[in-house]
Amino acid sequence: MSGQSISQHPLRVDTKERILPEPTEDTSRNLPRLAAVSLNVRLKLIKMADTVETKIQNYRTAPFDARFPNTNQTRNCYQNYLDFHRCTKALSAKDQDVAPCDWYQRVYKSLCPTSWVGRWDDQIEGGSFAGKI
Amino acid sequence: MLSVIAKQLKSHPALIPLFVFIGGGAAMSIAYLSRLALRNPDVSWDRKNNPEPWNNMKPDQQYKLFTVNMDYSKLKKEGPDF
Repeated sequence: MSGQSISQHPLRVDTKERILPEPTEDTSRNLPRLAAVSLNVRLKLIKMADTVETKIQNYRTAPFDARFPNTNQTRNCYQNYLDFHRCTKALSAKDQDVAPCDWYQRVYKSLCPTSWVGRWDDQIEGGSFAGKI
Repeated sequence: MLSVIAKQLKSHPALIPLFVFIGGGAAMSIAYLSRLALRNPDVSWDRKNNPEPWNNMKPDQQYKLFTVNMDYSKLKKEGPDF
């Protein structure tokens, strides 16, 4: 329905999959990365990065998303995966710190079955990923 | 065909509630299907200009007809902008 070929549609998965909750809280990742960035860039992004940083530190699970209010959260998973890669691509193209994109990574890791994530990562490495990034 | 139906209705006026209820049910079905087709953010009619219509929603916009235990006014955008 959104421009993907049939073989890579997110619904085409093994029906034995289950969505596992995010078990760990790795909150120490972001601080060293932010400290390594130069001061000018930090001053420019400090407001956005701080709020997102606190949100990532207090992360428990994926919050309610009004775009996907129903039980089927497939599109939520896929959209966050796309948003993570689009965010890293856009921010690294602008030479900004990529740390705020970790929010999307946390959300899709909470929502998506790991086999889907593995399959999409392999497709991105192989250049056959069907989504627009 | 409508004249045949009108003639039958005049001789059997008890059939009128039948038409009312069947017609009402058909109208409700068509109305809900067209709401789904035209308003559902999962549906993308124009892939070139509007490829992901669910991203055009505001963070506190409600699409569902009935929600229980969900206060939409308190929602904010979660992820960072890029």
